Amino acid sequence: MFKQKLLIGLALAVSLVFAGTAYAQTLKIGLKSEPSSMDPHYHNLTPNNMMALYVFDRLILQDSKQNLKPGLAVSWKNVDDLTWEFKLRSGVKWHDGSDFTADDVAFTIGRAPNVPNSPSSLGRYIKQVTGVEVVDALTIRMKTAKPFPLMPTYMSTFGIISKKTGSGATTADYNSGKAMNGTGPFKSVEWVPGDRIVYKRNENYWGNKPEWSDIIVKPLSNNSSRVAALLAGDVDMIDFVPTADIETLKKNDKVSISQTVSNRVIYLHIDTARDKSPFVTDINGKPMDKNPLKDLRVRKAISKAINRKGIVEKVMEGVAIPAGQLLPDGFFAISPNLKVEPYDPEGAKALLKEAGWGDGFGLTIQGPNNRYVNDAKIVQAIAQMLTRIGIKTKVDTMPKNVFFPRGSKLEFSLMLVGWGAGSGEPSSPLGSLLHTYDKSKGFGSSNRGRFSNAELDAALEEALATVDRKKHGDLLIKATEIGINNLGIIPLHFQVNTWATRKGLKYDARTDEQTLAVGVKTAN
Amino acid sequence: MTVGVEIIKEETLLRRFISDFAQSKIAVAGLCTIVVIILIAIFAPLLSSQNPYDLGQLDIMDGRLPPGEVGGAGFTFWLGSDDQGRDMLSGIFYGLRTSLGVGAMSAFIALFIGSSFGLLAAYFGGRVDSIIMRIVDIQLSFPAVLVALVLLAILGKGVDKIIIALVAVQWAYYARTVRGTALVERSKEYMEAARCLALNHKRIVFRHLLPNCMPPLIVVVTVQVAHAISLEATLSFLGIGLPVTEPSLGLLIANGFEYMLSGKYWISFFPGIALLVTIVSINLVGDQLRDVMNPRLQK
Repeated sequence: MFKQKLLIGLALAVSLVFAGTAYAQTLKIGLKSEPSSMDPHYHNLTPNNMMALYVFDRLILQDSKQNLKPGLAVSWKNVDDLTWEFKLRSGVKWHDGSDFTADDVAFTIGRAPNVPNSPSSLGRYIKQVTGVEVVDALTIRMKTAKPFPLMPTYMSTFGIISKKTGSGATTADYNSGKAMNGTGPFKSVEWVPGDRIVYKRNENYWGNKPEWSDIIVKPLSNNSSRVAALLAGDVDMIDFVPTADIETLKKNDKVSISQTVSNRVIYLHIDTARDKSPFVTDINGKPMDKNPLKDLRVRKAISKAINRKGIVEKVMEGVAIPAGQLLPDGFFAISPNLKVEPYDPEGAKALLKEAGWGDGFGLTIQGPNNRYVNDAKIVQAIAQMLTRIGIKTKVDTMPKNVFFPRGSKLEFSLMLVGWGAGSGEPSSPLGSLLHTYDKSKGFGSSNRGRFSNAELDAALEEALATVDRKKHGDLLIKATEIGINNLGIIPLHFQVNTWATRKGLKYDARTDEQTLAVGVKTAN
Repeated sequence: MTVGVEIIKEETLLRRFISDFAQSKIAVAGLCTIVVIILIAIFAPLLSSQNPYDLGQLDIMDGRLPPGEVGGAGFTFWLGSDDQGRDMLSGIFYGLRTSLGVGAMSAFIALFIGSSFGLLAAYFGGRVDSIIMRIVDIQLSFPAVLVALVLLAILGKGVDKIIIALVAVQWAYYARTVRGTALVERSKEYMEAARCLALNHKRIVFRHLLPNCMPPLIVVVTVQVAHAISLEATLSFLGIGLPVTEPSLGLLIANGFEYMLSGKYWISFFPGIALLVTIVSINLVGDQLRDVMNPRLQK
């Protein structure tokens, strides 16, 4: 009798141990934002692109510091100035067991820019490809009309889908899981919008196999509940740890923190183009026919009035780096000449006086309140600082779905925005934020201040057509220096991305803010 | 007519009312607290060491100082400062001003609109009554916060907008209360007499009917002022309603909410206490008023 009980006890203990290890292989992730679709090409949005990476590989992958590394393509080179050749990885299988070939790549290039009803298409990364030539099953060539040095970077931005499964598949088929056939490290199990996304490991993955057999991703948009879920053990890991909680979590011995600087610059965009700007008033709040923001000295005064160190210390709780240009040190094409503008309120006042605005004027600063880390608080802090040098500043913050469309309709005079360089080099912010607005060429799409400088345009366009990497970089630096010295935008700081995991896990923190399960390891 | 008799009668009524009210010590304490809070609200600019609504006077470098710390400008933050360097004590004084102002304003406007409709419904009866009361029913079937949220989403931010939203969700309570009382009063003899004298409607309604509906209304007003204040705080807490640079109590609490886990309790705690004390005092007074004015509870 006793023996029997012992046996049962033993069996229970053993099963518990196994249950324990099985549990450890499931990784539960709590994320701030949820994707709008599972379709890898539907919406060019960080959460979408990131979740797509779980299931769909790319020709070229980006490591955690956004350096390019081979993905489905093992090598790539210029055959001539207008042709790029990609050698594809052999032996790669789709989740359904069929072989991966160059036809799938050609099919993807045809589909990705043309998804119906796409709110923001990936086409901008593909439109330079004028022709695709499948040389053999594992070689593909892409033609461009002009030399195109950024081709490898652009090929690292969208997932490759299977021709067999993808033919005729709609966005709804991806959302339901029917078309979720990739080559990536995880297979899609289900997506319940607002509740969870479930993956299981792809046992035939060509690369390093992830440690986790099952992944459950939960959207937890509220900052406090995300932290609470981690502390309660409901999730193993969270992204975007609120700055107010980082100190406390660091002291908590059940939690580890992973941090790295982000490719996202937080900046002010200024109406530099119009003579009459909607939110510029005289000092008494009456509308004005003059726009002082057109004057470089006034912009310079605004930049000097901002205490970037103060914002980083007090608003960001030290979890940011003051910015003097478009990307932080360590990225490609960083200007050695551009420095963070020091805080100098007296100099700012003098400049305003020199520009003829010694008595000040009125202004409203707009910003989102749910997009960037502490966005609404930064806006208020800046309003304080501008008010102190005599620019009477009002604050208006709003949800991102209201803010961005209004900003793009040029309804604002001064606004707080952020830009993450998904490509990891400055041509993306230069082209979108500072190049003269030109819809036909695809430049200035987010140039909400309509800054325009012919020299900058020329330097950037030349850089984009220069294959020589050194020359390409020098031209980008030149364009950056023109844009920043003329204060087309006023850079404030670079965000620092922070993840928290339960003790015993380590995350290879990424500059592009993405939370990828392959980067989560058990610490030894 | 003997005017003197009337005065004596009124005096005794008032005296009786006061002595009835004073029977509850707690209610008297509540009343005193309300008076103090109202005085604070009125004289906030004189009592505060900083104008928390003037961005030029705030300094981000004074942000999140604990209670008792001295800031860069030289004055002491007795209750600490919030993330923008706003003195919590000054913030609470100004916040009370906004909260009480918004609460009282909206309650009185709603009182005016609501009781007018309630009197109309009761006095004319029939179709007018059923139309007005069906609107009231529909209005009351939605949660107040929901209606206010929708309205503010449409109207935008600002003190005037939040008053409109609060009036819109509150008038129905008054309309219903007044109608109930007025229906009872309408069938009384003095009303019949007034009608027989062929007085015009306006005079009957406002000189004869309304004054006799006042007792329950006064009670409802007190309760609704408290309700309006907490509703305003709720809306501000949710980040709609008042501009972020002019925080009322709700927004002050919301500002400190995210620092709760990190131990910076004072940003939410003190405005929360201020809100609690205000609402509890108003409700204590309201409760006692109800007891005093309800003939059935009279000893």
